[in-house]
Amino acid sequence: MKNPPRFFHLFALWLRQHPEFGAFAGTVIVFIGFSFTATRFLTADSMASILTVAAELGIVSAGITFLMISGEFDLSVGSVLGVAAMIFAMTSKAGWPHLAGWVLALLASAGIGLLNGIIVTRTRIPSFITTLGAMMFWRGILLAVTGGFPISYFPREMPLMFFALNGRFAGQFRTSAIWFLGIMLLLNLVLVRTRYGNAVYATGGNREAARVLGVATDKVKLLNFVISAVLAGLAGCIQFSRFLSVDPMRGLGLELEAIAAAVIGGTLLTGGAGNLIGTLFGVLLVGMVRSGLVQAGAPAYWYQAFVGLIVVVAVIVNTNLRRWALK
Amino acid sequence: MSGRGPLVKMVNISKSFGTVQALKDVDFEVGYQEVMGLVGDNGAGKSTLIKILTGVFPPDTGEIYFEGRRVDIRSPKEARDLGIETVYQDLALIPLMSISRNFFLGREPVVRMGPLRFLDKRRMDLTVREVLSEIGIKVRSPDEPVAVLSGGERQSVAIGRAVHFGAKLLILDEPTSALSVRETHKVLDYILEAKERGLSIIFITHNIYHVYSVADRFTILEHGHKVAEFRKDEVSAEEIIEIIRSGYREPEA
Repeated sequence: MKNPPRFFHLFALWLRQHPEFGAFAGTVIVFIGFSFTATRFLTADSMASILTVAAELGIVSAGITFLMISGEFDLSVGSVLGVAAMIFAMTSKAGWPHLAGWVLALLASAGIGLLNGIIVTRTRIPSFITTLGAMMFWRGILLAVTGGFPISYFPREMPLMFFALNGRFAGQFRTSAIWFLGIMLLLNLVLVRTRYGNAVYATGGNREAARVLGVATDKVKLLNFVISAVLAGLAGCIQFSRFLSVDPMRGLGLELEAIAAAVIGGTLLTGGAGNLIGTLFGVLLVGMVRSGLVQAGAPAYWYQAFVGLIVVVAVIVNTNLRRWALK
Repeated sequence: MSGRGPLVKMVNISKSFGTVQALKDVDFEVGYQEVMGLVGDNGAGKSTLIKILTGVFPPDTGEIYFEGRRVDIRSPKEARDLGIETVYQDLALIPLMSISRNFFLGREPVVRMGPLRFLDKRRMDLTVREVLSEIGIKVRSPDEPVAVLSGGERQSVAIGRAVHFGAKLLILDEPTSALSVRETHKVLDYILEAKERGLSIIFITHNIYHVYSVADRFTILEHGHKVAEFRKDEVSAEEIIEIIRSGYREPEA
């Protein structure tokens, strides 16, 4: 083709600024697929259950996306989620005001994130290693403190705080979906429309160049580690409000699912590119697969395999789309 | 120009790293609206001198004067605040980010909404469009990633950025090293245009022919010493190359 049709040219230009397109297309395709194969997929209850799964994963993934764009990883979010849920559970059980327990859980999460950030920025040890250590350390602490037993808390009536975090409304829909969408939109606004967002992209795009241009790259990374941990902690509290019980293995493996959702959404593993709209679709895709497979009659075990497949296919598609768009 | 002295004057600058003497008693001056070619072989001390001037590290001894005033430059940001802008060859722009985000990185204009401050996208895009058309770069939109620009276009955008933000002294580190012949000419033209607009320029390079075509004066460093300084009419490009190649010998008296 000597002259590619104008439409393709315009599409390529549009695509350069929209890495989330792959995840969006994938979401649409999977949605249509399940509409035909899974009975009851197109019901309000089914949408609500997808959103419930997507919301808890999505809040974690939002923080991870922010951090990944600035060029770092956080493998400890699953453990942080567990720690925060445990603190929220224990304080509730001990009769603390729920708000106080919630705040303490978030503060503890922030502390863990800060520690991760300090270690990474001071020692220049890759965050993969630092947070791998943190993941194992905090999981171990959780197991040691609880002796491996779950903690449950069954109040006589639903506390207001629990309703705010993850209560039901309009049938099977939950307030967690509002947290999820609110956080996604807020963080995306910060990323795309503020000076801080610009600094986040620059830090991950080329740390040295950003530094000589006056961006405080270490501060950006530190803050993003805190954001990532606090959001994981929030997801832990939200999840506890749903189950009213937490075991010390809560959140195990979640870190990889959260990274998977971000990567499906077009966030680069190497940093410098991505956005939260992509992660939003990535998370919805994962949530749909989880609910849809079960509804389509597939054994729940297939879920992992299917998500694994989607991650690889999504990255191949995203990479090729990006190359094509830049030509 | 002679009436008001030089824009930058570095006096008696020495710097060592451990046992390595990177610079020894170097004097260096750049006049107003002057293009200074800073040349010398690898390890001559060119980048050490520039890093001292841009606040990356302090000199062991020596003084720096900017616009006639004694200054201590303690960080790249302080250098920038004085009006010293540096364009590094690999670090000029961030390829994954859009042109307009790159252009304003660290100095983004904002609009206030109550306590919140958002990027003034419209002003950013408008400015970048203007600058790009002045340089003669055609892109569909300032939101295009820098990755779509050629090497020469990237250098030109980085120079345009320095001019836009009111730099007085522009330091270019190997601006033509990875460019095609045609692109090199464009960038050299653009350097002269920046000079026309009143900027002083330090041009660091290995390519004597590139710098010879635009520079007014040359400073040659060798093993941390300043071995020669010439006005353009005192020396040919071949002579400069010969000095760098064989080392400078004092003319016999």
